[in-house]
Amino acid sequence: MKILLMGHPNVGKSVFFNRLTGAKVMESNYPGTTVDFMKGWMRLEGEDVELIDVPGAFSLEPKDRAEEVAVEMLEKNRDSVVVCVLDASKVERGLYLALEIIERGYPVVVALNMWDVAEDKNIKIEVEKLERILGVPVVPTTAISGEGFKELVSKIKEAAPVKIEKIIESASGVNVATSAGEGGGESAAVCG
Amino acid sequence: MPLSVDERWNLIEKISKQTVEFGARKHTLKDAIAELTVKPLTGIPVAIAVIYGFWAFFVEFAGTLFTDGFMVRLFDEHWLPWLQSVFPGGLGNPFYALMVDAGHLEGGVLVASDNCFEAFGMLTSGLFIVFGVVLWAILAFYLVFAILEDIGYLPRLAVLVDTVLHKIGLHGYAIVPTFLSLGCNVPGVTATRPLETRKQRFMMMTLLAIFVPCGAQIGIMQDLVPELMGWIFLTLAIGYLGFGFILNKIVPGKSPEIIMDVPPYQMPTLKNIMSKLWIRTSGFLLVAVPFVLLGCLIVGLMYLTGAMDWLAAVFGPLLMGWFGVPSETVAPLIAGFLRKDLAVGMLGGLMEQGIMTTFQVFTSVILLCIYFPCLATFALMIKEENWKELLGSLASLIAMVFVYGGLIHLVGIMLGVA
Repeated sequence: MKILLMGHPNVGKSVFFNRLTGAKVMESNYPGTTVDFMKGWMRLEGEDVELIDVPGAFSLEPKDRAEEVAVEMLEKNRDSVVVCVLDASKVERGLYLALEIIERGYPVVVALNMWDVAEDKNIKIEVEKLERILGVPVVPTTAISGEGFKELVSKIKEAAPVKIEKIIESASGVNVATSAGEGGGESAAVCG
Repeated sequence: MPLSVDERWNLIEKISKQTVEFGARKHTLKDAIAELTVKPLTGIPVAIAVIYGFWAFFVEFAGTLFTDGFMVRLFDEHWLPWLQSVFPGGLGNPFYALMVDAGHLEGGVLVASDNCFEAFGMLTSGLFIVFGVVLWAILAFYLVFAILEDIGYLPRLAVLVDTVLHKIGLHGYAIVPTFLSLGCNVPGVTATRPLETRKQRFMMMTLLAIFVPCGAQIGIMQDLVPELMGWIFLTLAIGYLGFGFILNKIVPGKSPEIIMDVPPYQMPTLKNIMSKLWIRTSGFLLVAVPFVLLGCLIVGLMYLTGAMDWLAAVFGPLLMGWFGVPSETVAPLIAGFLRKDLAVGMLGGLMEQGIMTTFQVFTSVILLCIYFPCLATFALMIKEENWKELLGSLASLIAMVFVYGGLIHLVGIMLGVA
């Protein structure tokens, strides 16, 4: 088993890589810092597992050389678990890449990184509900300070491939269930 | 089963409606600073201040404090005389010349050197260039650069210069490879990967290889000819923009808009700054030490065997006639294939001997910048470009050297300084 770190440019993949492997790759606050893949080893439940820091990509239809490298890495490592790093303050576009990877049949763990930035921007994400709909583990993280990493690592083994049809189903299904739930939520808010 | 693009976005909308809630945004201090640094009215003065501060720190920290204040004395007053007194052989011995001091002729008599620029030995000039001058320049550059990177300032600078760079077919993002190249051209060239079209990548790599001096080179130029630095940067900037403009017209292909995220400002962490400083500085030493020493050895051997004199005789008329520089410049030009810092250092030796006028030094420094990227950069370009592009880069390079070098000579003649 290998673990691939994927996500948009500048969401903090390299910070993840350094934290998880203890290695030292360049981290910077601008998109395009990592343009080639980096390999390292991390401990996962007593085993040494290879971790690959993949260059940032917006989608799996490559538009530049760095994205080409990303897609190549994904295709070359069919037996991988993908840790898909999302910018929690821009969940929607991050989900696009996550769904593409899920559609290709990879087991995925979603890390909602830059959780602190999302909080600053007053964006609230219901992690459990998102986890239920996607059917994959979802973990909020703040990579720079290291929050959420223990949980993330513990969830890697739980990741399993999910059929996209099931996500569509639960996205629509939960929708109905939530309307009732939302009603409940509102009344609770009134009570509060 | 893969979804279509629309289906995927529909699904995402459904999901996010249920799970994400956007609250009212507060306008924070961070936002205010972010706006100030990208709006032209305030952003341009900020950019000038940042770059000026960067330069001032570079000069004071690396040049004044370490190199002039400490290293020059250490090497010229202690290391060189000590080696001259204990190293076996003595002046005139070939091995001594390669390792310590080749000496130079004064009125037909071989005299010993009194500084590490002139000596040309591996243990003197070689070590002095790396540890006396360039190491401090590299440290100073990467320290400030890492802070700017981690704060998230570079993308803002990209936004500011976007309009200007679009005129030459590049995008504001080009500031990232350009800035990186000012440290070392090698990561600069790899940083062209996020550029979308081959045309943009080709243009960027060619411009970097020709017109952007690396930190090692800047450090040693600053030590040697501080009073000329303004003119050197101006000449290179004009070349970069002017030649970029021409390349954009003649290279086929498109330069589409790239959409780049401007990340939020962040507080840099000391740990990450230090870690990057370590990665980059140790990377520099690993390449620089062997290559500079090897360069010293090769050039030394070429002097000893007479090959250098032969080359000087062959290329002298071209160098003097077209570029207006003395035939001795051939030695730094040879060294420059390997390392630019070594090449400029050798120029320093020629200056100390009083062979060159100030204008000739200026011309030579520019020639050293543009005539060839260093070996490491060239090796990377072979990897990154296809053969057609590589030939294109080489052709641009040769044309540029002759046109631009000749032009500088011409301007010098017209001004009466050449």
